[in-house]
Amino acid sequence: MQDQATPLTLDDVVRLRRRKKGVQFGIFAVLIGLVLWSVQATVIDDTDWQRIGTLADIGESVAHFIGVDFALIPSLLGPTIETFMIACIGTLLGLVFCVPMIWFGALNVTPFKPVTYPIARVAMTLSRSIHEIVWALIFVSAVGLGAFAGILAIAARSLGFIAKMSAEAIENIDHKPVEAIRAMGGSNLQVMIYAILPQVLPVILGIVIFEWEINIRRSSVLGLVGAGGLGLVFFRQMNTFNYPGVTTVIIAILMLILIGEVVSHYSRKALI
Amino acid sequence: MAILEVENLRAKYSARGPEILKGISFEVEDNDFFAIIGPSGAGKSTLIRCINRLIEPTSGDIRLDGTDMLSLDTRALRRKRRHIGMIFQEFNLINRMSVMDNVLSGRLGYVGAIRSIFRVFTNRDIQRALELLERVGLQDHIDKRADQLSGGQRQRVGIARALMQEPNLLLLDEPTSALDPKISREVMELIRTMANELKVPVLCNIHDVQLAKEFCNKIIGLQDGYKMFDGPTETLDQSSLEEIYAMEVL
Ligand SMILES: Nc1ncnc2c1ncn2[C@@H]1O[C@H](COP(=O)(O)OP(=O)(O)OP(=O)(O)O)[C@@H](O)[C@H]1O
Ligand SMILES: [Mg+2]
Repeated sequence: MQDQATPLTLDDVVRLRRRKKGVQFGIFAVLIGLVLWSVQATVIDDTDWQRIGTLADIGESVAHFIGVDFALIPSLLGPTIETFMIACIGTLLGLVFCVPMIWFGALNVTPFKPVTYPIARVAMTLSRSIHEIVWALIFVSAVGLGAFAGILAIAARSLGFIAKMSAEAIENIDHKPVEAIRAMGGSNLQVMIYAILPQVLPVILGIVIFEWEINIRRSSVLGLVGAGGLGLVFFRQMNTFNYPGVTTVIIAILMLILIGEVVSHYSRKALI
Repeated sequence: MAILEVENLRAKYSARGPEILKGISFEVEDNDFFAIIGPSGAGKSTLIRCINRLIEPTSGDIRLDGTDMLSLDTRALRRKRRHIGMIFQEFNLINRMSVMDNVLSGRLGYVGAIRSIFRVFTNRDIQRALELLERVGLQDHIDKRADQLSGGQRQRVGIARALMQEPNLLLLDEPTSALDPKISREVMELIRTMANELKVPVLCNIHDVQLAKEFCNKIIGLQDGYKMFDGPTETLDQSSLEEIYAMEVL
């Protein structure tokens, strides 16, 4: 087309632009239609409007939550620390289980591609596609109620992401040092330690810290299914209709997350 | 005496791909500074990587110190490779490690798994690394990270690392083409001095014909996987250059 180099006339250009606009408008209209349809189907049809009542009723319900239950604060300390520890130990445990998955899951170092690579990829996807609450339910039924189930759930949920990102980092390394270590008679292990790890370690650490920060959020709800931490307290306040108590727990969770964000931000900055 | 004998070497990168080396033969002797010249894509890097089997040749013969390189199994190949030093166009250093650790890494072929994990090297190795770093003029940069050095300095680290291996043969893949002309000469000079002193023969890819004439005693010329010239440097004349470079150089 371009080779023929027939100059476009003004008419052609105008017509082309108009057609392009038409297509864009068509797509836009379809999208709007889809959104309206899904609002109709999921919100309008599916909500029990009778139960919500008037605007004033809504305001009243929300107002329940205003206020802080100071009496609850001392008893929050333990669960807050527990939530924090679940996130920390869970992330570390996840990292430990990650090591073979990273090794298997990076195309350029996987020991036996047709077997080990698919195993790692499936494990990564499984870990990430199951929700942390579901993982927690699984581990609560396996090891019983409490923080240990929470730790296992966090580890299981976060290892997929850490492994996937880390394996990708290994796949993207600079291969020149690898060649050098091989050329001097280095073993696979020595290639790993001298040529690959120095390149990816800072990246992996950054990924782990990022995931740790997210794990604080995750671990603060795990208690809802009995896997320890603040979530359990939250659940109890909710069940006893102590709404200021609920607010207090939410504030504790917020503060914990804030700490995580600050620590994560500065430590990842220091890594670069 | 010939230390390296290459005979009818053929190589390709994939089973159905084009043949890159089409039957190359030559011999490197004890005191040679041996150059491989030729235009870009001729197969120089491929050839030099066949010697230590970073690339597996499809057929042919490579004898190094009497050892049939192509019959070695993985383990024996690693043992053999530790006596072959290699210096690269882009230095191939471990950027996040110190100059010292980079030079010490030249001993990896001799070091067991556990000691290499913890980067434990013998005092003898450390002593040798210090001497070499002084010889290449980097005694003031020992603790710097490799990526904080200039190109010329990095290649000096590469030279020290290769010599750490106590090699019987040095393979150089365009060691100076990432450097400016002045530094190139210094680096070549350094390699020549060290190779003479340690009595290591050198096999060197180089695309700068002038440098090859200046530093090498023998030259082979490659073009498109064929050997177009083979002889002492003095016998390389305009007509042989025209043949190698297919009239590129006039
Ligand atoms: N990894 C590879 N996979 C497939 N083909 C390759 C690969 N490396 C090189 N080749 C091809 O082999 C041929 C020879 O390449 P080689 O790198 O040996 O040339 P060279 O003489 O070293 O060139 P230069 O002077 O540019 O370094 C080229 O045609 C190149 O495209
Ligand atoms: Mg090359």
